[in-house]
Amino acid sequence: MTAQFASMIARRPALTMGMALALAIAVVALLPGLFAPQPPNAIDVGRALLPPSAEHWFGTDHVGRDVYARVVHGARVTLGIVAGSLALSALFGGVAGTIAGYLRGWSDLFSGQLVEVILSFPPIFLGVMITGIIGSNVANLMLALSIVYLPLFFRAARSAAMVESARPYVEAAQVLGAGEGRILFRHLLPNVLPAVLTQYIILFPLALQIQAALGFLGLGVQPPTPDWGASLQESKDYVLYASWTAIFPGLALVVSSLAVILIGRGLQSRT
Amino acid sequence: MTRFIVFRCLAAILTVWLASMVVFAMVRAAPGDIIEMMMGQMGSSEGEAALRRFFGLDQPVYVQYLDWLGRVVTGDFGSSWRQGSPVTELVFNAFTVSFELALLVLIVSSLIGVPLGLLAGYRAGSAVDTIIQAFNVLFLATPVFWLALMLLFGVSTFFYWSPPTIYVSPLRSLTDNLIILAMPMASLAFLQIAAYAQFVRQHVVEALQQDYVRALKARGVPARTILGKHVLRNILVPLITFMGLIFIQILGGVVVIESLFGLPGLGRLLVNALYARDFPVVQGALVMVLISAIAINLLVDILYRAIDPRLRS
Repeated sequence: MTAQFASMIARRPALTMGMALALAIAVVALLPGLFAPQPPNAIDVGRALLPPSAEHWFGTDHVGRDVYARVVHGARVTLGIVAGSLALSALFGGVAGTIAGYLRGWSDLFSGQLVEVILSFPPIFLGVMITGIIGSNVANLMLALSIVYLPLFFRAARSAAMVESARPYVEAAQVLGAGEGRILFRHLLPNVLPAVLTQYIILFPLALQIQAALGFLGLGVQPPTPDWGASLQESKDYVLYASWTAIFPGLALVVSSLAVILIGRGLQSRT
Repeated sequence: MTRFIVFRCLAAILTVWLASMVVFAMVRAAPGDIIEMMMGQMGSSEGEAALRRFFGLDQPVYVQYLDWLGRVVTGDFGSSWRQGSPVTELVFNAFTVSFELALLVLIVSSLIGVPLGLLAGYRAGSAVDTIIQAFNVLFLATPVFWLALMLLFGVSTFFYWSPPTIYVSPLRSLTDNLIILAMPMASLAFLQIAAYAQFVRQHVVEALQQDYVRALKARGVPARTILGKHVLRNILVPLITFMGLIFIQILGGVVVIESLFGLPGLGRLLVNALYARDFPVVQGALVMVLISAIAINLLVDILYRAIDPRLRS
């Protein structure tokens, strides 16, 4: 068992490292109270902007909140939003793309043009536009992020569905008299799934950056919720003399992106 | 070739038109408008109605859209509701700031990133390659605005220097302008260098397995010539497509860090206009972004057909 494990690490170091990091982060995001029992929003103005110490591992912020507690509790907020909105995006984009790729014709042309229009906005502008106009709260942020990445899931699913539609098993199902719905959902969708999942892993770090950037611009999660991007926005006026308020939420973003990027690279190089 | 260009231009115009409709519809569907903000608590209903007439907001939305579109076609984006100045001028001035920074980042990151990618790809599997790849992964994971914060902190702590906060146009003093742009440029460049290096490395590794490279090696052509002349030329088409993507991505990054460095660019204009519900400015800024993104894609499409004759037919 251990020998197998060691050989897997040796063969696919990036994947193993990424998985280990992602697992650790997931545990923190699911059980933040276990790692930081102190409340993330407890204000103590008398103890504002204290440097890291044994009592406050990551120091305190401008109103005396514990930065460590905020980073730990922020994992669930930030990563939850990204994971959730990408899942929505994958669901709708994946199903629409599969249908468009299988049926072709007008529905395909129409949705293709719609996708083209969404893609013509650079992602961050689209995010800024949606959250800035309809208002910044968690639901709108998730809506914005899922719209931003919908076209890419649509495209991935569409091209996978086109490839799959040409396979004999689809023809066999057609000959056996299976309905369009049955072919789409029972036969095609499971085979399109890997392409959608790959896209999910590729897009996760990008979506995380956009989520954080919107928080940083004040258009994402609103304070006092301990979101990493929002924490960085609050820290920017203090960074010169209380750098720890900016260093740790940012490192959390870097490590999380890194974990997923490593998994993606590990999966790509199947050697 | 001419037919292709005409066709692509028409398609680009169609996309801009559709997208402008999306922008207009979204902005008009927004909850809360400037009239409410202007009138505040003291507003009378007559005053409100008069203001709505003044801004043309009493018309049905499609009339407002056609009216707006009719003027946009002639290059007139209306006036800012908050400042009264022409939107075209506000947007254009802001765009030149963002564009200059984006262009600088593109140049610097191409000049550093492409050679790094060539080197890593040529020496795939070596220690140099591992170091470059570690650099890539690290900076692909780093948010640009956080890197900007860290640079501000690091440079001021160790070198006792911070960038000036009052923007100077390059037309007034190029040196002062570049001093102001140095740190924002560095914060954006690392990510793009990493993106370039990764992309070029991948393509070089693939190119090196092809017959023409083996033939060149067999003839004893030096590695530098193979890489710089033959491989680079062969990956030029994907590289140019990639450059277009990078440029659009840089424009996005510029927007996020402008406020941090006090640059009067498009992002700051857009975010401030959104907060103030100054819709003509929001529409103008977004259409400007759309036009530039679509223009870059168009340019890329035309450019690589010009480079690679095989794609022309």
